[in-house]
Amino acid sequence: MKSIQVFDPALCCSTGVCGVDVDQQLVGFSADVDWANEKGAHIERFNLAQQPMVFAENAVVKAFLERSGAEALPLILVDGEVALAGRYPNRFELSKWTGIPLIDAPTKSGCCSGNTTCN
Amino acid sequence: MTTPRFLNNPPRFLFFTGKGGVGKTSVACASAIKLADAGKQVLLVSTDPASNVGQVFGVAIGNSITKISSVPHLSALEIDPQAAAQVYRNRIVDPVRTILPESVVRTIEEQLSGACTTEIAAFDEFTALLIDSALTANFDHIVFDTAPTGHTIRLLQLPGAWTGFLEAGKGDASCLGPLAGLEKQRSQYKAAVDALADTKRTRLVLVARAQQATLREVLRTHEELALIGIAEQYLVINGILPQQAVVHDDLALALYDREQLAMTNIPDSLKLLPADRIELKAFNLVGLDALRKLFITDVVLVNDAPETQWLALSAPSLSALVDDIAKDKHGLVMLMGKGGVGKTTLAAAVAVELVLRGLQVHLTTSDPAAHLSETLNGSLENLTVSRIDPHAETLRYQKSILDAQSANLDAKGRALLEEDLRSPCTEEIAVFQAFSRIIREAGKKFVVMDTAPTGHTLLLLDATGAYDREVHRQSVDKEAHVLTPMMQLQDVTQTKVLLVTLAETTPVLEAVNLQTDLCRAGIEPWAWVINNSVAAVPVQSALLQRRAQNELSQIAAVANTHASRYAVVPLLKNEPIGVARLHELAISKN
Repeated sequence: MKSIQVFDPALCCSTGVCGVDVDQQLVGFSADVDWANEKGAHIERFNLAQQPMVFAENAVVKAFLERSGAEALPLILVDGEVALAGRYPNRFELSKWTGIPLIDAPTKSGCCSGNTTCN
Repeated sequence: MTTPRFLNNPPRFLFFTGKGGVGKTSVACASAIKLADAGKQVLLVSTDPASNVGQVFGVAIGNSITKISSVPHLSALEIDPQAAAQVYRNRIVDPVRTILPESVVRTIEEQLSGACTTEIAAFDEFTALLIDSALTANFDHIVFDTAPTGHTIRLLQLPGAWTGFLEAGKGDASCLGPLAGLEKQRSQYKAAVDALADTKRTRLVLVARAQQATLREVLRTHEELALIGIAEQYLVINGILPQQAVVHDDLALALYDREQLAMTNIPDSLKLLPADRIELKAFNLVGLDALRKLFITDVVLVNDAPETQWLALSAPSLSALVDDIAKDKHGLVMLMGKGGVGKTTLAAAVAVELVLRGLQVHLTTSDPAAHLSETLNGSLENLTVSRIDPHAETLRYQKSILDAQSANLDAKGRALLEEDLRSPCTEEIAVFQAFSRIIREAGKKFVVMDTAPTGHTLLLLDATGAYDREVHRQSVDKEAHVLTPMMQLQDVTQTKVLLVTLAETTPVLEAVNLQTDLCRAGIEPWAWVINNSVAAVPVQSALLQRRAQNELSQIAAVANTHASRYAVVPLLKNEPIGVARLHELAISKN
């Protein structure tokens, strides 16, 4: 299975609730990551405020930060290559990258149902 | 009272807690000396940023256990929570400082500059002292001049916090988040938290003043910590004016009555605690002799201060500041400061002064008692009064998030989210949302507020663009915003921040910290207001004269070092409620 790496902006937590502006997408995405990992996917998340070294050591991520700055995060790499930037993937995209079928996912799966990433 | 009740059969750990300026460090020092004098081996731990522990004992102490040679059996240790937090930040940021772009590094640093980081970094330092270790094995008692907050302890008690964050290495608990560099093992944090909740080992002493506002705050701390199992609690009311000190002095008499009334009306659940009262002393609490006398009640009071030595303090009045503010015709005026310094009263006074100058004013307070807003409402034609209730705003915010997220979370995740939502940041964000609804009125009239977001919150908001979004979302007239709200706050012609403090060491220091925080966000406080000053009124009582004398150096520090302009507001005999007394507060010629 492909490896997916998510480079989060500097969040104080992965749900962002104690941040300044709760991002509904982010909470939904956290749940989607749990869903995919339970199905055997390998999704890793890195938080800029907590693991900046991982950002610095990855040439692709470092170049991205130099070009676009921290405000352009999140950045999603699939097998080390840029798959998405500036927003979190939805469950449909996760399914496409990992090959995990959406069929047995809960009702909120798929595009435009649970979260609002594809409007 | 030679031995206060909180020092009867004391357990190993003694924590003194209370808000800045109530005298916790003095009480903690005096307690440590008393225990050491009785032959116990004592370690005194101070986290007071204004710590004069070293000065008291004539030794430089710092961040390692130091023997105090002037007091046999006593050692001391100073922990600087800000420095501890800085060490954390450096540990995370230093390795990437030269590798990642500067703007990215700044983002990371800001994220790690919140109250939570400082709080947990300080707790991390305590942990080593609370667990069994060779370091502290020889001490019979460890006396702390502070205590961890309920929020920190609860977070560390949650199993979800450990599995999610500490064990998996990356986690969901926001307020543990800053501790990516947590060094100790779970068992150590657990042992520390267990020690705190063990009544055989830990006693918490709540330090208050005989004032309604501080007693209310102490009540909150008491209930919060009792709920998480810290059951062994004592109450100390410090700095009470003794009756014999108030003769022939109207102000002292009025203060005495006010204090006695506050103590009579003490909240019921505090009444159940074993309590001590410590009288205000006519001497400064500096030096061993003075500290040894702190718990003695029958110190003879001599009216040793010369009677007519009152020198007119030539400081600007609040009214003079308002003259300058009024020139702008409209704008935002925010009063900032720690709890209990009188922001609400001064916001009301500023609002009344502006109205008296013929201007339109909207006063918004977060006054918990609401009596101030009620007495003012409808009293002046051009004055509108509204209230932001931080508690209600926080509940609304918590509910909206929990409702939206619950479906996605298991029980553990939900517990963690709920705890995150009890963090100090949450209240600030909740209040901020209410705040953004109101500030857009400042283009047409004056908006005066007794609350404001911290520089840290503003910077985070600004970095994510969330602030602009928040304000625009709530704005009806979207075209009207040419400037970003952050620019509005940074522009001194549109926004004036008045920093409120008291003429005492710790409150001034806390105000300096607030100022530093605001400056980080590019907002320079326009003026400082020193409230409740005794030096600004003629007093006969020796005790009050002494207090006035002590205030002078603090007032000078504000005037000469910290503030670009300032005003001094006198302590009044009567609580400043209603238009007439608020006006009196402002115009008082010092």
